Amino acid sequence: MPKLMNFKLQIETGEPGMAGPVLFTINNHKLPLENIQGTTDPGGVFEGGFDVNSFAHSLTLVGPEKGQWHIRKIKVDYECGDSAPYTVTFGEVTLDETTEVNIWKDPPLPTFDV
Amino acid sequence: MKIRFNLFDEECVLNLIPKVFKKIFPRIREDEGSAETAGKSADPEHSDKKLSPAEISPPAVKEESMPSRDEDENPFSNPPELRRVIQAPVLIENLFPPESTEVLIKAQPSTNHDQCLFRINRPVLPGYSWWFGKFEDAQGSPLAERLFSIDGVEAVLVHEDTVTITRLEKTGLDWKPLAGEVGTAVREVMQQGTPLIAEKIIREMPSEDEIRSGIQRAIDTEVNPGVAGHGGNVTLNSIKGNTITIQMGGGCQGCSAADVTLKQGIHRTFREQVPFVGAIYDETDHAAGLNPYF
Repeated sequence: MPKLMNFKLQIETGEPGMAGPVLFTINNHKLPLENIQGTTDPGGVFEGGFDVNSFAHSLTLVGPEKGQWHIRKIKVDYECGDSAPYTVTFGEVTLDETTEVNIWKDPPLPTFDV
Repeated sequence: MKIRFNLFDEECVLNLIPKVFKKIFPRIREDEGSAETAGKSADPEHSDKKLSPAEISPPAVKEESMPSRDEDENPFSNPPELRRVIQAPVLIENLFPPESTEVLIKAQPSTNHDQCLFRINRPVLPGYSWWFGKFEDAQGSPLAERLFSIDGVEAVLVHEDTVTITRLEKTGLDWKPLAGEVGTAVREVMQQGTPLIAEKIIREMPSEDEIRSGIQRAIDTEVNPGVAGHGGNVTLNSIKGNTITIQMGGGCQGCSAADVTLKQGIHRTFREQVPFVGAIYDETDHAAGLNPYF
């Protein structure tokens, strides 16, 4: 597992949106995102990030405290200590008060054209 | 002098421990109550005063603030918040130029180099997946027949717009020569314009519900009783067409032998019991395993 220096999130919200703060967990510690912009209202785009500087065993986006939050797309930019920066885009998911979604992916495997 | 306990004595001692604690706690409460009263009487302001019976008895507020007996017995009355971690699909965007007329293929060998995933800018088997475990299974499917004609191909999995090749030689590291042959074969068959996979496969495909109940039966009767010996468990997460995703938990999550269990145990059992099952994906976050067996 590489050392995660920092990550940036871009979340496209569908219907319904979420009113509360956007929280994430790293290695089961729940934290708010930093440098936040935008909104999680229906149709809104939210951006935030965090300087981790540690080994991420788990990284999740936490669901709302009440109700549902439909997410159309989550784009995550990772910057790791020993590999080039990379981006992963996650598809649709609906979160609620009992769920959180995994947003950690290892650096992509190398590909070549055939 | 040595004190020796037999099994019966040990059991008695263990049974006594909670009883002793229950005895101690009310005593502490009584002690606190009496200390309070004693402190009051020792207070110089109150020492020469005659106390009324209401003042001597412990104050009612103090009694209310003490935890109830139920709370005493259940230290986990406010457990930490636990949420279920779900997986969102990973989107592959802008892999190929959208208006290309050529057949474009990208190869991605797996981490242990026994398999290689080929992404193609054309549909291969839309909506479904199919596993060709041996050459005989490929009969009637031109793409699979052609791929099995390449030396070193052990098995072929097709799913939507991807082909995954498992090779016989597990130790070789360089996929480029074999991948080049696979690319040539895929282009040849696609240019013929005939169906790539036997239409009979889709025609005879059972419903998702039938596949789901078959897989669940296999999990309940064979897979889970097998992995339970190592404290593990397997759950069926989702099914789409004949493609299933599973999740491993307990001792299987994070276990160094999870890949062997998956490919040699779980895959084999599923394919034996539900022959129409196609791709089997593992969604387990193995890095988050708390108690792996190995």
